Amino acid sequence: MAKEFVAEPDLQFTRDVIAAGGSDVKKCYQCATCSVACPISPDNSPYPRKEMIWAQWGLKDRLVNDPDIWLCHHCNDCSTQCPRGANPGDLMKAVRKMVIEENSWPSFLGGLVGQPSLMVLTLGIPVAVVLFLVYINGGFRAPQPLNYGEFINYLYIQGVYTFALVFAVVSMVLSLKKYWANLEANCPINVGAVRKPFVPSLIEAFKEILPHDKFKECEANNIRYASHLMVFWGMIGLFVTTAIVAFNIDILHIAPPSRGGPGTVPIKILGNVSAIAFVLGLGIMIVRRITQPDQAGNSSYFDWLFLFVIFGTGATGLLTELVRWAGSAPGAYFLYAVHLMFVLALLLYLPFSKFAHIGYRTLAIAWGKSAGRDVTLPVVPNYAPVPAQEGGAEETPQA
Amino acid sequence: MDHKIGVYIDTGYGIGEALDIEALCTVATGEFSVPVCRAESYWNEPDKLAIIRNDIAGEGLTAVLIAGPSPRVHQDAFKFDGTIVERANLREHVVWCQPPNHEDTQMLAEDYIRMWIVKTSKYEDRPPFMEETSKDILVIGGGMTGMTAALEAAAAGYQVYLVEKEPQLGGWANKYAKVFTGKPPYTELTDSPVQEKIAAVNKSDKIKVFAGHRVFRISGAPGMFDVIVRADGPWIEKLDTAQNEWLAAKKAREAAGGAAGEKKEAEGEPTEPEVPDDPSEFAHEVVRVGSVVLAAGWRPEEPQNAEHLGYGTLPDVITNVQLEELAAKGKITRPSDGKEVSSIAFIECMGPEVEHPLLYGSNVSSLVALKQAQYLRKSNPDGKAFVFYNNMRTPGQYEVFYQAMQDDPGVFLSKGIPTGVASAASGLAVDVKDTLLGEQLRVNVDLVVLSTGMVPVTKDAAVLNLKYRQGPFLPENPYGFNDSHFICFPYETQRTGIYTAGCVRQPMDFQSCETDATGAALKAIQCMELVAQGKAVHPRAGDESFPEIFVTRCTQCKRCTEECPFGAYDEQPNGTPMPNPTRCRRCAICMGSCPERIISFRDHSVDMIGSMVKAMSVPDEYAEKPRVVVFICENDAYPVLDMAGMHRLQYSAFVRFIPLRCLGNINMVWIADALSKGIDGIMLIGCKYGDDYQCHFVKGSELAEYRMGKISETLQRLVLESDRINVQQLAIDEYYKLPGIINDFIELLSGFDPNPYKGF
Repeated sequence: MAKEFVAEPDLQFTRDVIAAGGSDVKKCYQCATCSVACPISPDNSPYPRKEMIWAQWGLKDRLVNDPDIWLCHHCNDCSTQCPRGANPGDLMKAVRKMVIEENSWPSFLGGLVGQPSLMVLTLGIPVAVVLFLVYINGGFRAPQPLNYGEFINYLYIQGVYTFALVFAVVSMVLSLKKYWANLEANCPINVGAVRKPFVPSLIEAFKEILPHDKFKECEANNIRYASHLMVFWGMIGLFVTTAIVAFNIDILHIAPPSRGGPGTVPIKILGNVSAIAFVLGLGIMIVRRITQPDQAGNSSYFDWLFLFVIFGTGATGLLTELVRWAGSAPGAYFLYAVHLMFVLALLLYLPFSKFAHIGYRTLAIAWGKSAGRDVTLPVVPNYAPVPAQEGGAEETPQA
Repeated sequence: MDHKIGVYIDTGYGIGEALDIEALCTVATGEFSVPVCRAESYWNEPDKLAIIRNDIAGEGLTAVLIAGPSPRVHQDAFKFDGTIVERANLREHVVWCQPPNHEDTQMLAEDYIRMWIVKTSKYEDRPPFMEETSKDILVIGGGMTGMTAALEAAAAGYQVYLVEKEPQLGGWANKYAKVFTGKPPYTELTDSPVQEKIAAVNKSDKIKVFAGHRVFRISGAPGMFDVIVRADGPWIEKLDTAQNEWLAAKKAREAAGGAAGEKKEAEGEPTEPEVPDDPSEFAHEVVRVGSVVLAAGWRPEEPQNAEHLGYGTLPDVITNVQLEELAAKGKITRPSDGKEVSSIAFIECMGPEVEHPLLYGSNVSSLVALKQAQYLRKSNPDGKAFVFYNNMRTPGQYEVFYQAMQDDPGVFLSKGIPTGVASAASGLAVDVKDTLLGEQLRVNVDLVVLSTGMVPVTKDAAVLNLKYRQGPFLPENPYGFNDSHFICFPYETQRTGIYTAGCVRQPMDFQSCETDATGAALKAIQCMELVAQGKAVHPRAGDESFPEIFVTRCTQCKRCTEECPFGAYDEQPNGTPMPNPTRCRRCAICMGSCPERIISFRDHSVDMIGSMVKAMSVPDEYAEKPRVVVFICENDAYPVLDMAGMHRLQYSAFVRFIPLRCLGNINMVWIADALSKGIDGIMLIGCKYGDDYQCHFVKGSELAEYRMGKISETLQRLVLESDRINVQQLAIDEYYKLPGIINDFIELLSGFDPNPYKGF
């Protein structure tokens, strides 16, 4: 007999899940179509079926310690095929949001970023910081020739943004540490005691994440995989660009190449190509969310906030460059300031916004690798004819 | 009686092209000297019908034989007042299932002409059975169903007598805290509507209410039931005990005595239960009614196999009926300490060990669990209601209610089998296995509510207390529900003029009870009106024939009184049967049961069918053309033949079909007639029988099979193989099986020598 556990439903948790976007979770009647439809769900305790009933029964302890929610890449096949309209994809997403909130350090920031009613405060902080920087640099001026360093001193920028980055990284690491400990101690899935060591598991996870191998298996929604791949690599490109430029300025004391117009230096090509991929990928995501909600899933505040910030970052960055080429110094300075606001928001809220999936998902995939939790079902195309077997098709296949 | 018969052969539908019509006419005019024989296409068309009418008037025809399409089509066209109409099927039974212009096809068609002319010539002239009848209705049971039936019948203008055993009307509906609305949006509950209904009943001048009364006895027959109504009292227990003992003894005798059809009472055994009281000794009222609606309702099933769930030992483990009573008082409180309840586990299925964990479980128990879950959730926003079920059944619009309850965050639904309930620190701990969570789990709750089944009150008592030869009870299925042809005739009982409605018929909710009651009231009215015109009720509605017994030759064997599925025969003091024609459904099973062959209908008799068998021409043994007569049930097997014809399924041309009202008509003498005529094989095709029988008359096909089991003696006397007689069961949709059944039998017969009696 299976081990018995005492079910103590947490009504508030169920209400929270419903509020966080899993509004149809109670409709599920456990037919398991979702787990069958999912191309990447494991054979053992497949998701998202079990997550649905855990959420219905308010089993918070199970859901917040469930690595499976991160193995889902939200292709939304489960939701489109759900006969009851219970939208399992949305539930998985809502739980991911709650896990980010649950594990954030400091925890009040998790609550802040996820709360639609606190949006003004959330967005107001980076705006205020940048306005303050502009103010202490003498207000809004447009020094000619164009030099962002004269608009706001690089030292300030470096001070503030290094702090934000360090804060984000420390916070993220602390959050993930907590999460990893929870997974180790309280994972509700029976995966056995055998574990691979952490570092090789993490390397395996990277091998899967960098080319988006698993994401690609969500065949129903390949455009989703493609756009995410563009954003993902665009962002890496931009990060590398920024790092090299910072290294050049601070260590090698080489002036940034911006003042030379549309240069052909490799660093600029890398930056521009990455930025275009980044913005284009995000653009596709936004358009799909608006025009094809049935395919992309229902979008919550949490989704839109993150998309707004990250798209804003990319778009204002590109626009700043375009306006500079167009020769409008005030315009370029203005957009530069807005861009700084977006970048700060992105960095500062990395561990608390949807951006945190970069850490949680990586960690959960690594945990999955270490626990052997990536056994997927063979992908059978829809309605494929069953190959005729010898001895007649009427025979029931042997289990 | 001599008939002047006109034969009208239809040459349409391909009949004209496939057969030698002239030769057919020669059979009619030559062999049988019919005064009129015409061949035209499509006799159902108005100008053709005019020809027939002319002949009836001009030639003085008393009978018309249409030889063309199936008698199941154009029934309205071929109606000529005062003239007998018979139909020989040359379309589905001949040209659509046989090769055209073939010698054997022609012989088949000619045989059918012969057989049906003979049949038509055997019609007798008897007026329908008419007697003065009552058109009042008795309704037994004053709950929602009974009151609705009474109100509906009264609204249609009929006088109703409503008998309720409790001192006040309302029944169970008085005890419910809330009920389903039955109206959009279907997600809310409402107060019981019973008071309005009671007021309407009391207001109606067409309804006479006997509250606190019971039916002591019903005697008579539809249109003339005499009902003795008596004040409730201890007498009912004595009567029920006596009747139940009688029934138990009867069943024991039957079990010992073997199969159906052989139920002769031994000397000294009571054919009817002893009734403790004599109506002359107590105050009573007698009312004469035309028909009866039985709406006596249900009682809760005492939870069985629920010891492991603490029922009876833990005070906080109660039934859903008890919870309803608690809820009707206001807040739901715990019986043990009066604490307000904040969590309840509803258990729909007691356990896996027994075959029927809840024998009388139904969709009603699912609905009650959901309803009671809403009681808790409405009174306590943090209340938790767990429902563990085996089957969650919420038919029709109740699906909407189910969805609404499922959407409630405080309602937890899971399939599951409870394995135990134990006392815990703050209440009760319920262990459940095989849940939707994929594991064994435990929930801690304040209260455990067990579902109860709904047992029809007819399980415990006769209620109707009929004075019938076959006993005071309605024939029941093994669960105490009225036994009827459940697929096609859910309202019918095996006692004509008595219709069950509501939860005595099957567990149902308020709305269904009201619908059911309306239907039953309509059936009761229909019955009285048909009976008043001397006509049969469903399923041979409108049939004006009825059985007549040539009593002087009766040997008092009582087979007809025993075998009638509808208890139509009572007994005369001298042991001969006393027919009650208005109880009769005209199935003619008695005709088959009678060894003296003295029961007949004006249009259906032993002689008529026997003569049809004899009318066939049987080629001599050198012709290598065997002959098989197939007796078929006209209710299911006949449509099967028609469908086989429509699908142009081909089969042997050596078979001749003779339809019967029911396969239970089969009389041994026809078998003997056929075999001595030189027929090589005899086949019987009837309906499925057994627990899920499909026989319109309950046990006709079973009786036929039983009687054929006794035929081997006859065959031995004739020195014939017993396999020459074959009995088949065929459902109405199994037309595709027909050619196989027929051809296999012909194949089997080809292994035997031809019947040596050919040519005698």
